[in-house]
Amino acid sequence: MGQHLLMTQPSQATTQPATATRILTVEDDERIRTAVRLALEEEGWVVAETANGEQALESFITNGADVVLIDIMLPGIDGFEVCRSIRRLGDVPIIMVTARSDSHDVVAGLEAGADDYLRKPFDPKELSARIRALLRRSRSDESRPTRIEVGGLEILADEGTVRHEGTDIHLTRTEFRLLVELGIAEGRVLSREDLLERVWGYDYFGDGRLVDVHIRRLRTKVEPDPANPRYVMTVRGMGYKLQP
Amino acid sequence: MPEPTTLPGRGSDHAPNLGLGARIAVLFAVGGLLVSVGIASATLALTRRQLVEAREETAAAVAVSNATRLSNQLTPESTIEDLPTVADSLTKVEGGQRIIRLGDDWLPAPELDNDDLPLDLLDRMGKRLGGQLVTEVRGEPHVVVGIPLSAFDADYYAVVDLSGITQTLDNLRLVLLGAGAATTVLAALLGAWASRRTLRPLRRVRGAAEAIAGGRLDTRLGPQADPDLDRLSDSFNEMARALEARIHRDARFASDVSHELRSPLTTLMAGVGVLEARRDELSERSRTALDLLVQDLERFNRLINELLEISGYDAGVADLDLTEVNVAQFLEATLAGMDGILLELPDDSRDFVIEADKRRLARVMANLLDNARRYGGGATRVAVAREPTTGDPPTGGEELVIAVEDDGPGVPDGERAAIFDRFSRGSAGGRRGSDDGTGLGLSLVVEDLRLHGGRAGVEDRPDGRPGARFTLRLPLPYLDDTMEGREQ
Repeated sequence: MGQHLLMTQPSQATTQPATATRILTVEDDERIRTAVRLALEEEGWVVAETANGEQALESFITNGADVVLIDIMLPGIDGFEVCRSIRRLGDVPIIMVTARSDSHDVVAGLEAGADDYLRKPFDPKELSARIRALLRRSRSDESRPTRIEVGGLEILADEGTVRHEGTDIHLTRTEFRLLVELGIAEGRVLSREDLLERVWGYDYFGDGRLVDVHIRRLRTKVEPDPANPRYVMTVRGMGYKLQP
Repeated sequence: MPEPTTLPGRGSDHAPNLGLGARIAVLFAVGGLLVSVGIASATLALTRRQLVEAREETAAAVAVSNATRLSNQLTPESTIEDLPTVADSLTKVEGGQRIIRLGDDWLPAPELDNDDLPLDLLDRMGKRLGGQLVTEVRGEPHVVVGIPLSAFDADYYAVVDLSGITQTLDNLRLVLLGAGAATTVLAALLGAWASRRTLRPLRRVRGAAEAIAGGRLDTRLGPQADPDLDRLSDSFNEMARALEARIHRDARFASDVSHELRSPLTTLMAGVGVLEARRDELSERSRTALDLLVQDLERFNRLINELLEISGYDAGVADLDLTEVNVAQFLEATLAGMDGILLELPDDSRDFVIEADKRRLARVMANLLDNARRYGGGATRVAVAREPTTGDPPTGGEELVIAVEDDGPGVPDGERAAIFDRFSRGSAGGRRGSDDGTGLGLSLVVEDLRLHGGRAGVEDRPDGRPGARFTLRLPLPYLDDTMEGREQ
């Protein structure tokens, strides 16, 4: 991630106009919360700190946010539940932070609606990179088609909408970008690594489960029968493709 | 570490090296032998007594009747010359002979005469007392019956041969010997069979113990049909449960400690990150201090992560996130940005797809490359090959071999096993000065590969030049599937 944003002084950052990127963090450890806020403010983002799930939901409903950062281990309602609640309210990008190393938490977090995850302890530069990758709408590439039609699916890349046989389908931003990348490939197979790089901005060593879980969620929304996919196909040993 | 307690095991010092099964069989055989010898002896003795008594009674009865008839036929004028005629009319017993004394004359039997009569009996007869006894006559057992004829100065002796009985007993003894031998053999066979049956649950115990030793800590024995074995099974399961709980507790402790360190580490990293972003505002001294912080923070972070991984292996909870990994793509991505490393891929390696945990495999490669950089001046060659599985017995499968070679001093023979141990740094590892390794890298390589069913090793370079060659071997069961995958 070589992108560089202009640095803003924190004092100015807190008084940024509404156009600045707003990040909502939920973390019960006060020192981590403060340190993470300081690190994110270095990037010029506006940070709203909350210490538990109830506060986080209240803040999100009142003020909204552009990205939400949720620690899984929370007192009261846990991170998974916060994630599910926020996901029901909108398609804002969500990053889960887990302190556990077992695979179960990661998959559960993704299933709850998270777009990406980080393990504690994380490098603040990595956190910023993840947030930037999720905020990126799509590549501003002139050669890209704005309207893709695959079977009964109609993808309007610029408008961010998908229709299946005339009916609007609601996708999260990450699901939408996944579908667009598969659509642009025009039936060619994209490996997990390709998709990790294009959608999440990861290198070859990103976690393939991000792709698998999001593909599963995408199928529940675009496939008439998610158990027997007709559009989003798995190609064993290779990756995924969109079948007309 | 305390000395292990070894409970006394009987026979472990002095008993012959016979297995329990063989010992039970031998015990059965000895038992069979003793029982058959006992029965045979008793049978022989009883039969002998019965036969002898029967013969004696017959001899005595016939002798009494003969003596009475002789007494009736004799007259005071009878002389020894008259006796054969009288004697011929007497009842004969098989194997029996008679000797008659009249006055001072003796009528001998065809094969015996009065010298053959036992002296004890002659003494009694001298006192006009009758009697009978079993004794040796001319080396053979005989019943000798003596009856004094009270009306005359005469005695009647019957001598009955018992050697016929001896013959019968000899035959019987042979039969019993054969039966005894057969019984012993049968007992041995029965013992062997019984011991196999008895030991079957023990073999299950052995299997379970081996499984636990092999890391499958949740292995338990099922209920046993026999109440004694059921107790053994219960004790075994109790032991296994305690062991598992203990191991999990130890591993959880390490894991908990590492987890607890994650929160402060997160704060530290975020805080140091802010300082790094504002590096330009710091003085020269502060910048140097910050650099030290950054470096050791990174090392600390790595150590915590590796300890967490290791506690995961130890608790048996390390999980594999298997995905399809194209070996060529994986290695190209791994070596991207590293200069001076020659990657050698066989022509068909584009098709090498393995099921592996990419994160763990990446760590294995990172650790091997890091190890080469640290102790071998940096890796110079990474080679991929597909080889028949080396193992005993050969499985007929194939494995993927990835070798990482360097131009360093190599690893001496004696240190090859030890360098894969935790916190081992080998003889070259003395240089702690600028060493920022954790000492866990190669042990993680071993554990990560083991989770995949693979293994790690170190050897000399095949081209004979100095340097080390670290190899990782992974089973290749999915090669055939890749073609199938392409066609879909």
